[in-house]
Parts: sequence; C-alpha cells; structure tokens
Amino acid sequence: MWKYIAKRLAMVSVVLMGVTLVAFSAMYLAPGDPAEVIALARYGEDLSVSQVETLREAEGLDAPVHVQYLIWLSHLLRLDLGKSLVTSEDVLAEIRQKLPATAELAVASLLISLLIALPAGILGALRKNTLLDKSCMFVSLVGVSIPNFWLGLLLIWLFALTLHLFPSFGYGSLKHLVLPALTLGTSMAAVTARLTRASLLEVMGQEYILAARARGFDENTILFRHALKNAFLPVVTFAGMQFGYLLGGAVIVETIFSWPGIGKLLVDSIFARDFSMVQGCVLFIAVLFSLSSLAVDILYAVLDPRIRYDRRD
Amino acid sequence: MNRSFKFILIICMLFAVIGASACIGEEKDGTAKDAGSRENSQELVVGISTDVSNWYLNMFAAGDSRFVWSQVYETLVRLDSDLNIIPGLAESWETPDEGKTWIFHLRENVTFHDGTPFDANSVVFSYSNHSYVRQAVLKPVQSVEALDAHTVKFVLEKPMPLPFYLTHIAWPVMGPGCLDEAGNFIKPIGTGPFKFETQAKDQEIVLTKNEAYWGEKPLLEKVTFKVIPEATTRVIALETGEVDMIVKVPEYDVLRLDAEEGIQVHRKLSTFTDFLQFNCDKSPFDDTRVRQSVAYTIDTETLVNEVLEGVGVPAGGRPYSPVMMYSDPDLETYTPDLDKAKALLEEAGWKDADGDGIAVKDGKPLHVTLIVSKGVWAARHNPIAQVVQGVLREVGMDVEIKVLDEGAISKLESTGDFDMILRSGYFVWGPYPKHFFVHHSASPYSHYHNENYDQLVNEADMTVDSQKQEELYHSLQTFVIEEVPAFYLVHEEKVVATGSSVKGYTISSEDPWLNLSGVYLERK
Repeated sequence: MWKYIAKRLAMVSVVLMGVTLVAFSAMYLAPGDPAEVIALARYGEDLSVSQVETLREAEGLDAPVHVQYLIWLSHLLRLDLGKSLVTSEDVLAEIRQKLPATAELAVASLLISLLIALPAGILGALRKNTLLDKSCMFVSLVGVSIPNFWLGLLLIWLFALTLHLFPSFGYGSLKHLVLPALTLGTSMAAVTARLTRASLLEVMGQEYILAARARGFDENTILFRHALKNAFLPVVTFAGMQFGYLLGGAVIVETIFSWPGIGKLLVDSIFARDFSMVQGCVLFIAVLFSLSSLAVDILYAVLDPRIRYDRRD
Repeated sequence: MNRSFKFILIICMLFAVIGASACIGEEKDGTAKDAGSRENSQELVVGISTDVSNWYLNMFAAGDSRFVWSQVYETLVRLDSDLNIIPGLAESWETPDEGKTWIFHLRENVTFHDGTPFDANSVVFSYSNHSYVRQAVLKPVQSVEALDAHTVKFVLEKPMPLPFYLTHIAWPVMGPGCLDEAGNFIKPIGTGPFKFETQAKDQEIVLTKNEAYWGEKPLLEKVTFKVIPEATTRVIALETGEVDMIVKVPEYDVLRLDAEEGIQVHRKLSTFTDFLQFNCDKSPFDDTRVRQSVAYTIDTETLVNEVLEGVGVPAGGRPYSPVMMYSDPDLETYTPDLDKAKALLEEAGWKDADGDGIAVKDGKPLHVTLIVSKGVWAARHNPIAQVVQGVLREVGMDVEIKVLDEGAISKLESTGDFDMILRSGYFVWGPYPKHFFVHHSASPYSHYHNENYDQLVNEADMTVDSQKQEELYHSLQTFVIEEVPAFYLVHEEKVVATGSSVKGYTISSEDPWLNLSGVYLERK
C-alpha cells in the first residue's frame, strides 16, 4: 500500500506541473493587459501610461511568458508563492488564512449530504417503486434542479429572517456554519441519494446476493454484510470528487453567506488579474483535489477486497 | 486488521475531524456577536459590500474601502452633505496667484491616533511623491512644502482649483506613524473620529471611538463593518437585525424596505451618472446625427420609473447630476421623439429598405455592440442595457449586448473595437470638473476628438474664478447635449438603510462618504 501511495504522489506532482502550466498560460490568454488591469486596481481610473509601464517593469510583467513561468517555478520550489500583485500580501499566508473556513464548510457539507443521501438512497432501493421511494426520488430531483444561490436565499429567508434560528451571514461559530453547509449539502445529497439507490439496486440484483438468500441469510445481513459495501463504491468516488470540489470552493455559496473561503478569493483574483494569487489558489486547489482522489482510492481498497494495490506493484 | 473494523475507524475519524472543526467554531462563538448581546451598547454594525483593499496612500482605496477610510482618515478640505466646500483639517486656504500656488492654514491642536501632533510635515508626507495621487491625479503639483508648523504651500505647474481635489477621501492626510523605520506600512493612523482596531480579512473591520477627536466627538463607542458582498444578504442582515445599517441598497429593494416597519431608507441624489459612451471614431457613431438619434430614442424617465423603480433621476443627456456644483438648471435635456430619431438616422443615410425593421446604409445593416461590465454596477446596468437594446430596435438599430469583465473591456477600449459602453460616471467625486476629461482627446478612454471641446475643458480646468468656472461648465454641458459624445441616462441616488435603533443619521450626496457624526443607538 505504501508503495502505491508513493507512486501516486509522484504522479500527482506530474499532474501539478501540468496544472501550473495551464494556470499560467490561461491567465495570459485572457483578454486585457494585465499590467493595466492591476494598475487600475492599485491606482484607480486616473492612471497614466507611464504608471502602467512602471508597474509592468516592477512586477516583471514585461518579461516573456516562459521566463516569468520559470521564475515563478523556481520560487515555488522554495515554497514561495510570491506576493499578490494587487494588494502586495503574501499569497501563501492569504490562502492559509482562508483554509480553515473552506475546510470547515467542505467537511460539514459532505457530512450533511451523506447523512441525508445514504438513508434516503438505501430506503429507496429497499422499498423500490413504493410511494416512499418515489417521494424520496422526487425530492432529490427537486434538489438537483434548484440552483445553489436560490436554495441559499430560501434558507436565509426561512431560518434567518422568519424563524430567527441562524445568522444569515458571516463566519466564526457553529451557528454560522449551518445554513451554508445545508445549502451545499442538500444539493449534493440529491445526486448522491440517486446514485446510492441505483447502485444498491444493481448490487441487489446480482447472483451472489441470490446465493446468499438461497443460503438462508436474513435480509438485514444480506444488506449490511454483502450488498452495501459494494454498492458504496461509486458513492465513495462521487463523494470524494464532491469533496475536492468543495475544497476548491463553492463560490456562489461563499458569496451569498459572506463565507471567507478560497473559492471567492480565486474568483476575485481572476477578475483583478492578480496572477500570483490565481496561480497560488489554482495550485493549492489542485493539490487538495489530487489528495482527496488519492484518499478515495485508498478507501476503495478498504471497501473492496478485490482491489489490492500492493499486489499489482 | 479486520476490514469492518477499518471501515468503522475511518467513519470515526471523519466524525472526529468534523467534531474538531465544530469545536473551533464553538471557541469563536464567545466573541461572535449577535443582535442580543449588543443591547444597550453604542456599537454600530454596518454592512458593506467589499473589504478594505488597502490602508495606505501608495494605492487606491477601491470599492467600499472609502466608507471605512472616511471614519479613520480626514482630508484638508471637506464637503458637507450637500456638497458645499467646508474646512476640514485646514481652517482656511488662499491662492496668491490665481491658482498656481495654494496656501493652506492648518487646524491647531489636532492629534493623530498614535498621539503625534498633526502638522504641516504630515501634510507634506501625505502628498509626497510616494502617494499615488501625486503620480495619478495631482500630476501638475510640483512641490508641497511646510512654511511653518501649521502652514503648507502647494506649488502647481498650471492654475488648478486644488481645494476641490483635496476633498476626496481616497487622498487623505495620514500620520507618518503609518510606517515603520524601514518604510513598511504597519497600521492606519489618521486624525478621524474613529481609530482602527482590528481587521479580519473579508469578514469585519472594527473601529473604536477616538476620545481625543478635535471636532464633534462621536456618540458611538465602536463601529464594526461587516463585509457582505451579496446585496440580497446585506438587506436580509438588516431585516434580521444582525447589522444596524447597510450601504449600497439595490434599487429593487428600496420600496419594499421603505414599507417595512422599523427600517428607514435614506436616499439622496449622488454625483454618479450612468451613461452610454459612444465610439465616435468609427461608423455609425462617428456621425453626430446617429448619436442624437439614440438620444431622442431612449426615454430616461421610463428607464428610472420602470427599471429602477423610481430610484434615481432621469438625466435626458445631462452629464452633471443636479446636486453637483455648476450643474446647469436651465439646460435643455432630451425628451423622447421617435419620429425625429428616425429622421436623423435617415439623414445620416440609414434607412430600412427591405422592411425587416433594421436600417441599412450602403448594404450594411445597422448592427452595433453595447458593452456592459460585470463589475459593481452590474445589477443596475444589466436591465438598463436590455431596455436600451429594446428601444433602439424600434428606430432600426440592432444592438448586441456583451457582458464582459473589466480586463476585456479595457482591451476593447484600447483597440477601439466597440460601439457603445454602458458606464457609471467615474471621475465624479466632488464638485470639481474632472468628469469632462472622459471625452477629452487626451484621455485614454476617450473615443471622441473635438478641438473645441478639448479647449473648453482645458480652460475650465485651469480657471479658478468661480463665476468664470460656472460659465465654462454650463457651456460644456450644452456642448455634450448638442454633440452627444456620450448619452447620459440616470443620475444615481445613493441609498443607505438603517434599523430602528439607529438615530441621528444624515445621508450625504458624496458617494463614498459615510457620515457617522451625531449617530447614536437607541435599542429597545
């Protein structure tokens, strides 16, 4: 297993190299002169041409793109992500500061989604085509269809404005976490529930379940000992990917609830053409994504005895 | 290890992580404030849309930074709530030579938040070369020197109404204590009624009362600015009582909030004006008649009443908001006249020959692009753009709307690859003439070239005599109405809403200024 993890980590670093290259060139391909946009943010609309040129020189934006990229990479090797071009703040410090909020929201949303989706999906599969199943699937269809921002505003209206149960915005306490996590969690739960149901139905129809039934196991044993673990495989993959997405930041939800996460930082930086901040954020999100997909693969081995990474090495 | 045991272990770890993060939250709960715990305190909580981008004068204070800056920092010259010029940190000023030299007599017994006295040196420090305002706006300033402890002399290379410029809160006087010995910024030090306390990035900024304030002492003990980017959330936060005051209330919420018990909506005409900027360098808008045709087509009164729910004042082509100094009250603005609009288009050669509703000239259909920014004004600009698109179709103009971010827009501007841009009156902060430079040939944003216009603007900019200034600005406004380098649509109303406990607030016309003098809280 350790060998496999080491191998995967090596692969991750190759992927990250690709990510840095794409992130770097994508920003340069976007329209608009970066020096001008950054100068606008720094000095306001009254800037002059000479100011833009001074800034271009000072920030090294006049060098060819590949040179800029190599310089950035050499800094990166020393774990130096540079300073924000717009605010001059340290990129790594800024990301580190946003990380707790992002992680908190991601974990809580994932938990909420699993707490709703797993029971709903299992119930749906076991009581296939009953009213209970149909209503579970209907609710989840609604859940998939409602846009996050709309659901967020509805939750604010209900729980903050009408019932006064939770704060409508902000970050800091468990109470602040509830509404944004619920917004993200419920919309994710909808997909996960459908996936769980479909996967469990497929597994329940397989021969080994029939064999287990023939050997006289009761339904509960069959479900918990034989079926669920296999049915969870695609669910784990999906949840892992969702977790990566959440760590990357759920921008809209972060904006609605004034949640100081990485997603919003990234989007704001893109609009401000804050190259160093964008590159830092993208790299960071890519690392988190890769690690969460690694975690999913490891979970796979735990869930499915047929998957043995060590033997393949 | 047993497999199911491993599975249970992983689940337990997941819960442990969540539990831990919940505990982190719990810990902070003690400091988190909600409406209940603020009872009887004089802590005002204000919802703003962006965090303070920077605190120092080497950069521009963007977005809502200035609402916060105006509590901490002060300017030499101030504007009252109706934009009349009044003394600030300078008690009086004079120009011995018709605007090329300005001498400011500073207020005595004023101290910065760190206890150091406010004097001429701090003014020299604030307007020295390292301040961005000297590099960007006040380029004609040649030198700033201290004549004595309380007198400062500005020498300019050409006459300029300098005091007007110095009212802008993004160019205030800062204490040299802002910097450490190596010249690095450490913390904001101003002379304002509130002192900087803490800032949690993208969350909140806390200010406390400056006990040693020279002017009318604030009644509030503490002001907390909460960063709430989404306008809807900001409005709800006011309704739930989580904040006491919000700025930048969207137009579509004004009437509803106004009807709500306990909430007060404060409105005042600001200096911002939305306008359609034409690219006069290329067809079809290089023809004045086509631009005039647009002016006769768009009914700005309907725009205000239908799109903005009555919030704002129809401009009808007038560049200066009526609240601004030198706004010409007798200016004849445009009233919609579709027949005239069509006739002007035809005169310019654009005629609908094949009956498809789109005018054609030399075989080319009248197809134009309208660029709208994704930025802060988007909520207002998007519906306005759609109405403009709709009505221009009636006279035979096929408008394509492009929503782009600032970077993309500046690119198209520099290449001249656009027809119309919907903008808000940038450069309009006080009653000074800056905005007219937008259409000046020398401006990087201008796509209009007219020597007479340039000359008028140059002359107005260098005139100090107020009567002469007024004449010049009136003729500039007439010029813009006749020549239409841009069509001015709506004069913006600034909207601030307060909860029932907030007393004594007076709204000011100056857009990025929040006057908290005299404000106190009466919580029930």
